[in-house]
Amino acid sequence: MHLLSRNKWPAVFGLAPALLIYLMFAIIPILISFYYSLMDWDGFTDMRFVGLANFQEALSDPIFWQSLKNNLYVVAASVFGQIPIALFFAILLNRKLKGGKIFRTLGFMPVVISTVIISLVWGMMYNSRRGLFNHLLELVGLGEWAQNWLGDPKWAMISVCITIIWQFVGLYLIIFLAALQNIPQEIYEAARIDGASGWKQTLYITLPMMRNAIAVAVILCISGSLRTFDLIYVMTSGGPGHSTEVLAMYMFDQTFSSTRFGYGSALSLFIFFFSLILVYLSTVVLRKKAD
Amino acid sequence: MKRFLSKSMALTMVMLLVLMAACSNGDSSSEGDGEKVELTFWNIWTEPSPQNEASLKQVEKFEEEHPNIKIKQQNIPHDQFKVKVKTQAAGQQLPDLIQVWPGAELTPLVDGELIQPVDDILSSWDGLIKEDQFADYNVDGKQYAIPANVTPTSLVYYNKKMLKDAGYDEFPKTYGEFKQLIEKLKGGGKIPIALGNKAQWVLQSSYISTIADRMTGSDFLQAVKNGEKKFTDEKFIEALKVIQELSEMEAFNNDFNSIDNIQHRELFILEEAAMMIDGAWSLGPTLEAVEDPENVGIALFPEIEGGEGDPSAVSAVTGTGIALNSELEGEKLEAAQEFLKSFYDKEYYNDLMKADILVAADIEPPEGVSPQLKHVSELTSKKITPVYDASLPVEVTDVLNSGLQEVSLGTMTPEQLAEKLQAAMEKQK
Repeated sequence: MHLLSRNKWPAVFGLAPALLIYLMFAIIPILISFYYSLMDWDGFTDMRFVGLANFQEALSDPIFWQSLKNNLYVVAASVFGQIPIALFFAILLNRKLKGGKIFRTLGFMPVVISTVIISLVWGMMYNSRRGLFNHLLELVGLGEWAQNWLGDPKWAMISVCITIIWQFVGLYLIIFLAALQNIPQEIYEAARIDGASGWKQTLYITLPMMRNAIAVAVILCISGSLRTFDLIYVMTSGGPGHSTEVLAMYMFDQTFSSTRFGYGSALSLFIFFFSLILVYLSTVVLRKKAD
Repeated sequence: MKRFLSKSMALTMVMLLVLMAACSNGDSSSEGDGEKVELTFWNIWTEPSPQNEASLKQVEKFEEEHPNIKIKQQNIPHDQFKVKVKTQAAGQQLPDLIQVWPGAELTPLVDGELIQPVDDILSSWDGLIKEDQFADYNVDGKQYAIPANVTPTSLVYYNKKMLKDAGYDEFPKTYGEFKQLIEKLKGGGKIPIALGNKAQWVLQSSYISTIADRMTGSDFLQAVKNGEKKFTDEKFIEALKVIQELSEMEAFNNDFNSIDNIQHRELFILEEAAMMIDGAWSLGPTLEAVEDPENVGIALFPEIEGGEGDPSAVSAVTGTGIALNSELEGEKLEAAQEFLKSFYDKEYYNDLMKADILVAADIEPPEGVSPQLKHVSELTSKKITPVYDASLPVEVTDVLNSGLQEVSLGTMTPEQLAEKLQAAMEKQK
């Protein structure tokens, strides 16, 4: 095929099927949900136009703000928990370590296990009467530190965040390991000749060379955490009260169990805009550093 | 270049054609060729429970007797089923036959004219099903489904031996005595009441539906819906205070907000807990799993001092109704009606009773029915009151479900919950 030819039609034809599917399943639904968000609709009876009332309601809905706050906790836990931990282990595992492959597999394991299983197992470990954590604390004589991890609104969100961090560290570990392999050894050699210590090598060579990989990881992290749904749905169903409710789950509940399709659409548009803003902010911040 | 273009054009056209052909093929095969009638049918019979097996048997039997009618089933787990029905209803894509629940689940389907009444064939059940048993599936004088079972949602299961050890030969008659019993059981190091409220509906369906009835009387919910009474009435707040009081005196296992209702049943079965408050759906599985079924006692929630309700009343809901899609007509409609007639026959009700399920039909219990089922059927024969989530709009139920959880945690007072409920109720109009 003549890549340099002026005629772009073959390219258009090639792209058409993919583009069509993307339009149908991604772009058009967003536009339709904008239309729905202006309606009061229970899915059964006729729609009623209500203007911006759904958005107004969302802004004055305490559960909406609570969910947003929890979502931001998840974002923070992911960005400031998953990424540093993954980076640390990636750099460790990149050395010639005995059993490095085993550790790599172990680290990646949680990513492969289905979220439902993770949630159920961690739910059992967090259990206040029979759970592993309280039992361990009692064994070492710290019985008064035992908590009702998932049943206490003070602790529920923290417990959930710890599980989320554990679940996805492996994914970023692999991304970082791949990035580490791409750093040419010559640079390290040169640094060693100049007398740079291991710590300085990490700080001035490894990290700057990995900037792009880290940037990708941060963006993945943010967009992933805004979508969090399955883990929390199984572990706490948003409870106790609404203390672990996140936006995606609140939107799902409002749309499909309370059958408020209009209000649910308004909420999903909020999620859409929040994601855009957060991803935009993070690219701006990361790009500034690069310049 | 030109030649290349025409080639790629041709290729795309071929691909499009194949796609279209594939699509249209799918359509024509589902239509049928007229000789064999096919009916789509959604239900929740996924678990291998005796009730589900009895229901599936009825479908099989019907297909054997009617070789020219095919019932194409989709068995979907309960929670997902309800979500799926709502979503497909919004897209006007419901199946020909749909399992339906009374109240808040049924009325939107009726309002949206998505299902049609079955009044034409109602005479088939003359003498088998009484009028008040039909009532839950009746909306504005029209019957939309045939009830199969009656499910009391609020029974107190207790371990006879453990209560005896605490000094109680009989289940306490009043709430005051009930609290004393709880204190005594706690002193003995056992969990007084097993509760798993992670899914949030348990405190509403199994607790408040009956407890509130003890305080307010059975006409309260209807009066609230009509705007004559309010959730902020003192009696209803006192009912909410019962939940607060029970959790403050640590009557429940302390992880009650992080386990579910299956897990709380296990606590009771393993004799870690002396009591559980649960619906009749737990009767069969519990009797099957405990070492000594004779040791399982069943009672109603005790009378509350100062309450206006009938202490023999219990919240219950009828179930396993099947509704017909409003678009059915002609041959398909006849087939569907034939299916309903064959499905809800006497044999089905007998099978259900043998599986420890109370039925919504007026027949003698067959031989081999457990004494516990007979006992439950006596307990619940006096007065039936509505279950909250079957009579309130979904949004109000949602507020109640999560609010009760907060009251049990102490992060919300009963008064605050009552106000939120009333506000949600008023927003409905």
